[in-house]
Amino acid sequence: MKKLYLFSLLIAGALALASNASAIDSTGCGLGSMAWRGQSGIGPQVLAATTNGSFGTQTFGITFGTSGCDPNGRVTGGTGRMMLAFLENNMEQYALDAAAGHGETIETMAGILNMDSEKLGEMSKQNFATLFPNENVDAVELTLNVLEMVKQA
Amino acid sequence: MMKWAIFILSWLWAVPVWAQTSLDVDDAWLALGHYRPSFWSDTYTSTIDSENFFLSKDGKTSPEAELSATIELFSKPGNEKQKCPLPARYKYLKRRGVKLAEFPKCEELEKFYDDLQPSGVTLLFTDAYMNNPSSLFGHTLMRVDTKRKGTQLLAHGLNYGAFTAGKENSVLFAVWGLTGGYFGGFTVKPYYDIINTYNNIENRDIWELNLDLTPEELDFFVAHLWEIGHTQTRYYFFTQNCSYMLMETLDAVRPSLKLADDFPVQTIPLDTLKAVYSRPGLVKNINYRPSRQAKIRHRYNNMSPKEQDAYIQAIKNQDFSLPALDESEKADVLETAYQYVQYQYVAKELELADYRKRSFKILMARNKLTEKGKIAELSKGQSPLETHEAMRATLGMGVRNGEVFEEISYRPAYHSLTDNNYGFLRGAEINFLNTIIRHYDNSKKTVLQEFNLVGIKSISPMDKMFQPISYAIDAKIERLMNPQTEEEGYAFNLKVGGGASYALSDNLWVYGMLNNYAAYGGFLPHDQYLGLGAAVGTFADFNRYRLLAEAEKVWATHKIGSATKYKLEAALSLSTNMAVAAEYSYRQNYGRDIEEAVFSTRWYF
Repeated sequence: MKKLYLFSLLIAGALALASNASAIDSTGCGLGSMAWRGQSGIGPQVLAATTNGSFGTQTFGITFGTSGCDPNGRVTGGTGRMMLAFLENNMEQYALDAAAGHGETIETMAGILNMDSEKLGEMSKQNFATLFPNENVDAVELTLNVLEMVKQA
Repeated sequence: MMKWAIFILSWLWAVPVWAQTSLDVDDAWLALGHYRPSFWSDTYTSTIDSENFFLSKDGKTSPEAELSATIELFSKPGNEKQKCPLPARYKYLKRRGVKLAEFPKCEELEKFYDDLQPSGVTLLFTDAYMNNPSSLFGHTLMRVDTKRKGTQLLAHGLNYGAFTAGKENSVLFAVWGLTGGYFGGFTVKPYYDIINTYNNIENRDIWELNLDLTPEELDFFVAHLWEIGHTQTRYYFFTQNCSYMLMETLDAVRPSLKLADDFPVQTIPLDTLKAVYSRPGLVKNINYRPSRQAKIRHRYNNMSPKEQDAYIQAIKNQDFSLPALDESEKADVLETAYQYVQYQYVAKELELADYRKRSFKILMARNKLTEKGKIAELSKGQSPLETHEAMRATLGMGVRNGEVFEEISYRPAYHSLTDNNYGFLRGAEINFLNTIIRHYDNSKKTVLQEFNLVGIKSISPMDKMFQPISYAIDAKIERLMNPQTEEEGYAFNLKVGGGASYALSDNLWVYGMLNNYAAYGGFLPHDQYLGLGAAVGTFADFNRYRLLAEAEKVWATHKIGSATKYKLEAALSLSTNMAVAAEYSYRQNYGRDIEEAVFSTRWYF
């Protein structure tokens, strides 16, 4: 019985002591990783080949970088690569902004694409069904769709 | 004669060159090397633990030796490998007028600047997350703002934390954390990733404090970030934690801030926020980014009853046609419903396939509308800067079964339900190391009445959308009276309970909980007991005035634990950091009563 109490004390202590901790590696990457995230592996490479994104190897100090999603944890690369990284993490929010035609993700993507955000909002709304052809669309496909849509504008 | 003049002149020129190897150590150098003064002598030790941070073998404890070694490194050309990780030191020496060789071309460093495209620095505070005891005190991070086109979503968040991989579920978690068994370090992530983690997954509000740095300071910040980004530091939960390292980092950029000096013992994230805010001219702007849950609540509360009804029905029936609403009402309801489905998925209330299907249905319906919604986004919250201070001391007077006593208490941290809840997560309480000492007048004895290791309580009302669990954890050593013998003694008491809460109105909540008790102590008959308690309570919060009332019946393995308890606690704030409180408690066991009333004044500091 005594052991049990000691154990309880330890648990309570652990709770208390844990209070200021922030464990870096216990948080995952974006919401996108849980839901609509594109397949890692061949997908991004295909995208890299078809767009101007370049997937160079980024190596760094071990404490620096890795967000769990992006290999180097930074906003980097050309338009295609930045767009893919952004949509992998913000696909859900962009879906709503695209459906409505405005929002923070559209302003951000307009910045990446170097275009007017109102224009991108309008286009996204009009082409929603093309951008999101079905509920199983992934980030790679979506990125390609967005880049295609913008090219035709 | 001329020769002599040249000779003397060359000496005059040469002297400063020699002097450079023995430049005085100044505040800026100490801050840059993260040197902290020792408590008991005139020596300094650097907080940084990575050996590669120091050029001199005595660098960790000798700022002088490290400064000399740094001057030596940068005075001569070459040696990129050692120079590239230390760009801020180069900038520092240059500022002090030391003659230096040119800084080498460092590709990775240049890439770092290119990716960040820095335009400013922002301190971030995320409030408490009740589902994770390790985040009850909130958390701070930094953001390197970006001048990239678009929004600050493309900026970079900077997090200092412990690397706990593989050790996080260990019972030794606390031991490691307290003794520096974990290493801490910085990670950089796109800001959108930070937002997802805190706003969208953990449902925590983010406060952004934009700092007013000069372009030189900004440049220096990024350079220094690069330096410490390659280092590790022993992580101590209470002292050298996430928030503390950010203070040292800001000091390195502007040594006159002396932020780290404010935190010699404990570093509470909220306190670091206040310290930064207290430095004149440092914070130029404050911005609030509500959590997803806060956004959903705000939107729901701003709907008309008709919209609310349509919203609840739509979610229930998975039918988003909303025939009773006009276009803009539909837009508001659908956008809220979409956020709610996202919330449900993260809360694991929905399977992936179901989540996708529902999301898509809503998106299709929203895409058909031409009007925009009318509900303004939530842009204001209760500022964490206006919260009461975390330390609390009380002075009180009371009566126990007719005997008068005086009482003092001290609590290092953090917040209790009857403290002013402004700016805190409402319904959440975390008391840490609260200590009560009592003096009885008649019997002339002074006793430790209670030592509360930790007390956590979360009362979180359930409603149509959110069904959080309310819970309580309490571990304390308390002085008990055996009513049969009137003897007093100490027992360790652990309570773990869970239940549900409902809001009768905005200000009035009720809750019910089942509590498990385990008590241990030589004073108790048979040394110990286990118990089960059923409690009901009311929490009323009218901002300035708070009231907590609870009734509980406990059944225990020994009579001394079986009791009927009533407790009433009321507090009135006189100012942000001062309140008066009245507490009444009644406890019946062994068929006898113990009745207690205390009036006290509370100071927060």
